[in-house]
Formats: sequence, structure tokens, C-alpha cells
Amino acid sequence: MNNRFLDRLAAAVSPGALLRDPVELLTYESDALVHLRATPGAAVLPRSAAEVQAVVRLCHEHHVPFVARGHGTGLSGGALPVADGILIVLSRLNRILDIDIPNLRVTVEPGVTNAEITRQVAPLGCYYAPDPSSQSVCSIGGNIAENSGGAHCLKYGFTVHHVLGVEAVLPTGDMIQVGGAVLDPPGLDLLGVMVGSEGTLAVVTKATLRLLRRPEAVLTLLAGFGSIDEAGEAVSAIIGHGIVPAAVEMMDRLTIDAAEAAVHPDFPKTGAVLIVELDGPQDEVHELFAIVERVCHASGASTIEIARDAAARDRIWRGRKAAFAAMGRVSPNYYVQDGVVPRTRLPEVLRRIRDLEARSGLRIGNVFHAGDGNLHPLICYDEAIAGQAEHAEAVASEILQYCIDAGGSITGEHGVGADKSKHMSKMFGPNDLDAMRMVRSAFDPAAICNPGKVFPTPRLCGEVPGPYRQHPIERAGLAERF
Amino acid sequence: MPIRLLEPPDAETAAAMLAQSATDGLSLVPRGCGTKLSWGGDLPRVDAFLSTRLLSSPIDHFAGDLVATVPAGATLAEVNAVLAHERQWLPIDPAGAAQATIGGIVATNDSGPRRQKHGATRDLIIGIEIALADGRRARAGGRVVKNVAGYDLARLMCGSFGTLAVILSATFKLAPLAPASRTVIADVHDAAGASDLALQINAAPLSPSAIELQAPRHRLLIRFETTEAAAIRQSQAALAIVEAAHGTGTVVEDEGERDAWRRHEALVWAPGGLVLKVSVLPTEVAGVLTELERLAAGTGFAYAVVGRAALGVLAVRVDAPDDISVMAVEALRRVAARRGGAAIVIRAPAGVMARVDPWGDVGAASAMMQAVKSRFDPLNTLSPGRGPAGL
Ligand SMILES: Cc1cc2nc3c(=O)[nH]c(=O)nc-3n(C[C@H](O)[C@H](O)[C@H](O)COP(=O)(O)OP(=O)(O)OC[C@H]3O[C@@H](n4cnc5c(N)ncnc54)[C@H](O)[C@@H]3O)c2cc1C
Repeated sequence: MNNRFLDRLAAAVSPGALLRDPVELLTYESDALVHLRATPGAAVLPRSAAEVQAVVRLCHEHHVPFVARGHGTGLSGGALPVADGILIVLSRLNRILDIDIPNLRVTVEPGVTNAEITRQVAPLGCYYAPDPSSQSVCSIGGNIAENSGGAHCLKYGFTVHHVLGVEAVLPTGDMIQVGGAVLDPPGLDLLGVMVGSEGTLAVVTKATLRLLRRPEAVLTLLAGFGSIDEAGEAVSAIIGHGIVPAAVEMMDRLTIDAAEAAVHPDFPKTGAVLIVELDGPQDEVHELFAIVERVCHASGASTIEIARDAAARDRIWRGRKAAFAAMGRVSPNYYVQDGVVPRTRLPEVLRRIRDLEARSGLRIGNVFHAGDGNLHPLICYDEAIAGQAEHAEAVASEILQYCIDAGGSITGEHGVGADKSKHMSKMFGPNDLDAMRMVRSAFDPAAICNPGKVFPTPRLCGEVPGPYRQHPIERAGLAERF
Repeated sequence: MPIRLLEPPDAETAAAMLAQSATDGLSLVPRGCGTKLSWGGDLPRVDAFLSTRLLSSPIDHFAGDLVATVPAGATLAEVNAVLAHERQWLPIDPAGAAQATIGGIVATNDSGPRRQKHGATRDLIIGIEIALADGRRARAGGRVVKNVAGYDLARLMCGSFGTLAVILSATFKLAPLAPASRTVIADVHDAAGASDLALQINAAPLSPSAIELQAPRHRLLIRFETTEAAAIRQSQAALAIVEAAHGTGTVVEDEGERDAWRRHEALVWAPGGLVLKVSVLPTEVAGVLTELERLAAGTGFAYAVVGRAALGVLAVRVDAPDDISVMAVEALRRVAARRGGAAIVIRAPAGVMARVDPWGDVGAASAMMQAVKSRFDPLNTLSPGRGPAGL
């Protein structure tokens, strides 16, 4: 790396904010997709938007690629550094700048964690709705880049529905304000395309978000069914009744057993369990909940448990959220896939996955956000057996093909990043990708802003397939994959 | 030269016409039924309209997925008539839904009172098919609600006013039709009272689908669309809040309710007049209304306001001679700006539109908007000059 550039970089940020020591850089070699690794030329930890701007400006002048990083919990290698590039770590921009309860707005720096916002506004009866299960550790900047969602996005939408404006540094080093606290700013909806762009268009340095008031009532139900198909019928019937639950989650037997072994949620030992949560005004929720209960019975539920208080609800969610990590109890390694199918195609796609399971000889657990058809198949394997990791990855890729065949998507929440860029051309044609590249080249004509992500590029040689490995924050018990 | 009208019968022909126009260097303005053609900037340099009106089928309703893919030329009313067979709807309720086409609604990111509950068009769109300026067809998003693969070009098209591409079809997340509806009509003493009341209703444990304000008569329309029992209970609860705030209220249903909403829409959207959209923080709405009241009294113009009181988005209509209308635009823009908001001219008599910038100041992001425009439409043949920031 050019010394003059590094000297200027060091001068542009506060003392100690430039890291070059290979040992210090180890932490930053990957995000939570740990098999993709690269050592950046340097990492900077700016303390202000002005410092971010100064860094990007220098990168622009010297044609040095840079990658923004929040808290490194991404699961698609979005924050994978570019070797010899700069990694801009935003964790020190972690102030909540303004809380405006009458207007239900909050303005934060990008390094603030998702859950911190809710923690701050909870005493005022409010919360920030998007709830990725990594919420206690992931950053708002990362959420904006990935358009993150959580279990409750069926009713409340994704990050894009809750971000009103951002301040961002463009790859040229210019600072722009897009959107703001007020709705409908004049001009193109640049914000709409920046959210979910995986850090390839700009570095977000500030964001204004929408808050919601806590619903008056929340009711959660856990129903056991003989099979995934029966549970799926119940979901169809609930939607057919015109009910949009806050959350609808499903688990199959393999993941129920794994969760039981790990956290003992005492779920019924049935073919599948369905979790349905409704929230809203008390009377409305109770009335609709009675319908949900009836529907579950009619669809053949063998057991129904209703959580009427927070403790019972927490137990149910603990069982659900433990599902990923718990797979470690039933398999030495596993690969987590993230794909989406139209909800009504779930039975057919799950049948294909079951056939694949039989054919491949690898066990596949299924947990999913059933309301929006977001699948997380967990492919079990043993890396001690030669070739099995590669086999698991091939199986995971084949499942993505099923999702595409059914009219779905290659990712519902983890993003494309470096991991799935190779699958993009299965879902989009050359014209589609070109139209997206038009946006990309308008923002980043020199292609220095998180290059190599999202858009398909030839597979890197020496790249090894990606088994699931427990992220340090999972090991520390801070988050479960979900 | 008169402006030609191109009316392709299908998406393929639409794209071919775009390619041809690009070759011939002709400028085009995409349109649906033309209901919003007077919106946005003047059309000084246009050779032809490209109407997507004939792209009106098929309407693909995936009821079990609460999703529909609809062609640009279908009107919202046509779409909702189809979706109603399965007791669902595309929950967008802009003025003039009978004539407004999906393409036009997306291009203007239009919405109406029920934005309170369902969001605007950009919040509901999940996929799009467009024809690029060079005649290639491209898609983004898809037909699943949860999807983070690739850039969200569907949202970028929302509110792009035909300046980036021609919208061929769009896919939306739908909502179930509610079994029952009630509306509370509340009258209060002044603008501040109306706005405060709206914020109180918004903070209460209720689920209104609309909280609409009317001025200069200080009235709120608060709508509940849910089950029969909940609609009754919640409208009573809202009524109690109205009365505690020293207002008077009544609950309407069925024909009385439909009529109240028809009249509400007509207050601003009846033909003619200058219409602006003023957006500010919800807590600034009262101040805007008070200043508008003073301005109108001082200058002597007639006005009407309807708007999303709890969201801070108002439609302001002014009926006045051109000179005064131009002055009203400037004055309102100052009022909105001082309160951290913006005012956009949505529709204006030709004599007014020629003398105002409909968009106002777009700020530092305008250079990036230009850059995006220049990539999508390097020859500047799509709706030149019509969009914000001179796009
Ligand atoms: C255990 C676990 C559970 C998870 N559960 C969920 C879940 O339920 N739902 C879900 O959606 N995701 C989930 N994730 C994925 C991940 O937490 C989210 O993608 C999160 O938004 C990433 O935030 P981060 O701060 O860690 O970002 P990083 O991993 O640091 O970065 C992610 C991307 O954002 C970009 N970026 C970061 N900050 C900025 C910025 N300020 N400006 C521009 N670009 C920026 C990076 O360049 C990168 O492309 C989970 C991850 C783990 C490890």
C-alpha cells in the first residue's frame, strides 16, 4: 500500500484510528460468513462523519477500494474486505443523536445497534420494528445495507419501511442527504435503492428512522401438526380469513428435536410446529386470535398452546430462535441456506427438498418464516468425512434452484454479498443486471465502493465452500440465527 | 407540431417503440390515461406520448400469497375489482382511482388516506418490469414479499415521473379486504385542535386505516376498517377521545360513510385549481395550517386542505387568479421550508405552471439524481425536463 496514501489517511483520522498491524486486522478478515476471508490493507475506525468523508475522499483520489463494515454479523460476506483496500469500520459512530417521540422519529449514527434503539425508547412506549435475530449486536448501518428483516416483518415490513432518511458519503467523497425526517422529499427515491444495496453505493453516516408504539396486546400460539403440509394448510387458512399475523414461523421434526436438546422449550414431538403471533388493539387481537385457534384445530392440530404472558411467549420464541444453533446437537456441521418461495409453493418445494435429502444422504432440517415463504434449510454434514462439505454446499445451491423454479428468490434476508453473487444470473437476466449496474455506475463510476459484491463475477480460485460455523456472538450467547 | 400518441398493444411493442424513438432521437413521455399529465413539470420538448393504457391484461392474482402482478395500463379500479373476488385489494387509494393506471400511480408514487395504515405505493411494490430507454426490457425484485436479491429498482421507479424508464408491469403486496368499516367525523374549534386530536388518535391503542384532516373547516375523518365488533368498539373509543378534546363527533357507516369520503376527496381534487403537496413533521401541521389561514385571509384567496394529519402530508388546493396562485406557491414553500418541510406543485393551471418550479429545491442529492438519470436515459429522451431537479 502506497505510503503517501497511508500517511494522509493517518492524518485524516483521530490518533489510533488507523489499524495496520496484521494481528489487529485479524478481527476484520471476515464477517459472520467466516470461510470467506481477506486481509485489508488497513482498517480505519473513524469517530465522525467528517472523518469518514475524509477517508473516502482519499480513497477516491488514490483509487483505493474501500469496504464499509458495521458489526460484522452479515451472513453473505458483504463486509468481506478487499485485499489491499481500506476497511471502514463504523462501530465508533455509535451515538443516538435525537429522539422525537411526538413525531415517532429517531436519528442515529450507523454504528448504533438495532436493539439499542428499542432499549432507549421502550420506557416511552415505543420500539423500532425491524427485529433481525442478531439485533442485540448488528448495526443500523448494516441493517440499512442489507434491508434486514426479522420474524415480525410479515406485518411490519423490512428496514426499508422504517428508514426515512440517511446522510451518506458517496464514493467520490461528497456528502449527501437523502430523505429526512419528513415524508415524500422531492426527487427520485434514491433512498429506496440505497437501502439493500449492501454497501456498494455509499457509506451511511447517519439515519433517521421511524418508531412505532408498542401494541396494546400480543398473543402467541404454538400448534403441533402431524406434518409440514398440515401446518401449511393452517397458514393458508389464516391468510384466507383475511388475517395478517405479526409473525408466522414453522419448524420441522428435526429442528424441533434439535431445539429440545439445546434449550428444552418443551415443544410437542410432532411432525411440525407452527408459531402464530398476533398483535394490535386488545379486542381486535382477541377476536382474530379465536379464529386462528379454530383454524388450527380444523387443519388437524394435535396440540395448541397459548402463551398469555411474556414468560410463556419468551419460552416459545426461545425454542424457535434456538433452532439454528441447536443443529450442532444433532450434527457436527451444518450449512444454513436462505431462500424464498411464494408461500403457496412451500409444500411443493419442501417435497423437493425431502427428495433431495433422500438422494443426497444428508439430513436437512427446515425452519422458516412461513408467512412470507422465507426458508432456512439446514444441511447437516460432517467435515471430517472427505468431500462432504463440498457436497453440502452443492445441496444448498440446488435448493436455491428450487426457490428460483418456484418463482422465489435466492435470498430473503442475508443478502447476496460475495457469497451468492454467482447465483445472481440464475435469477436475473443480463438486461436486469445491466439496469442495476446503471445505478451502481452512477454512484460509483470508479468501482471502488465494496467492489466484487452483489454482481456476478467469476468464482475465485481457492475459495472453499462455506459450512456453518458458530459466530463468536453466537458462542457468546448474544444472538441466535433465525 | 402536434404531439403524437403511440399506443402499443403489448409490452414487446412498447419496448420496440422505445428503441425506435431512441434511434430517431425522439423524446417520449410515458402516460397511462393521462390523468396526471398536468403533474410535474411542463412538457416543452416532447415529440410523442407513449401510452401504456392498452397493456391492461393479464392481472395475475396470487391470492394465497397476498400478491398480484398487474400491467401498467390497468386502472386501479379494474385491478381492485379483480382482487375483490378473493376479498383482497391493492391498498392504495389515491384520488381518481377509476381512471388512474398502475403505471401512473407507480410513476408518481401516489397514495391516499389509507397510507396511514398501508403505506404509499413505494411501500407496497415488490417487483417491476420496465422498458429501458434503448428498448431493452428489464426486471427487478420479484413476486415474493421478502427478497433482498439485487438493487431495488422498483422503489427507484416510484415517483420517477417517467424520467428513467417506461413501467410495463408491477408486482405488489396486497391486503385483505376488511369485513367492516366505520368513520368518525369530528369537528373541532381550530387548526391546532384538529392536528392535536389527530396525534392523540394516532397515539391511542387503536388501528385506524386513515386519519384525515380537512381545512379550513376544522374537521377530522378517522376510519376503522377491521372486524365489525372492533370497528364499532374503536370508533366509540375514538369518539370518546374527540369529546374529551371538546370536539363533537358522529360515526358514519355504509352509504353515509362512502359519501363522506367522496366529499372529502372532492374538496381538493375536483377539477381545476392549483394543488400542492406540503410535507412537514406531524407536529408542524398545526403551524402550517395556521399560517395558511392567515395568508389566505390576508391575500384573499380560497383554499382547501385534506391530508394525512398523523403523517404530515397535506394536499393544499388554492383557487385564485394566476398571479395570486404563483405568490401562494412561493409563500407556502417558505412556510414549509421554515418548518423543515417541502412543498411540491402537483397540479396547476398552465399559466401558473409556466411561472413556478413545481419541485422546488431538491438539495445536494440532485447531482446524484442527474447521474442516475444520465445512466438510464443518456440521450435524455424520456420525459425531458419533467422530473425534479430538471431531470
Ligand atoms: C446469529 C445471526 C443471526 C442473524 N439473524 C438475522 C435475521 O434474523 N434477519 C436478518 O435480516 N439478518 C440476520 N443476520 C444477518 C446480519 O445480522 C444482518 O445482515 C445485519 O444487518 C448486518 O449488520 P452488521 O452491522 O453486522 O453489518 P456488517 O456485517 O458489518 O455489514 C453488512 C453489509 O453492510 C454494509 N455496511 C455496514 N455498515 C454500513 C454503512 N454504515 N454504510 C454502508 N454500508 C454499510 C457492509 O459493507 C456489508 O455489505 C443474522 C446474523 C447472525 C450472525
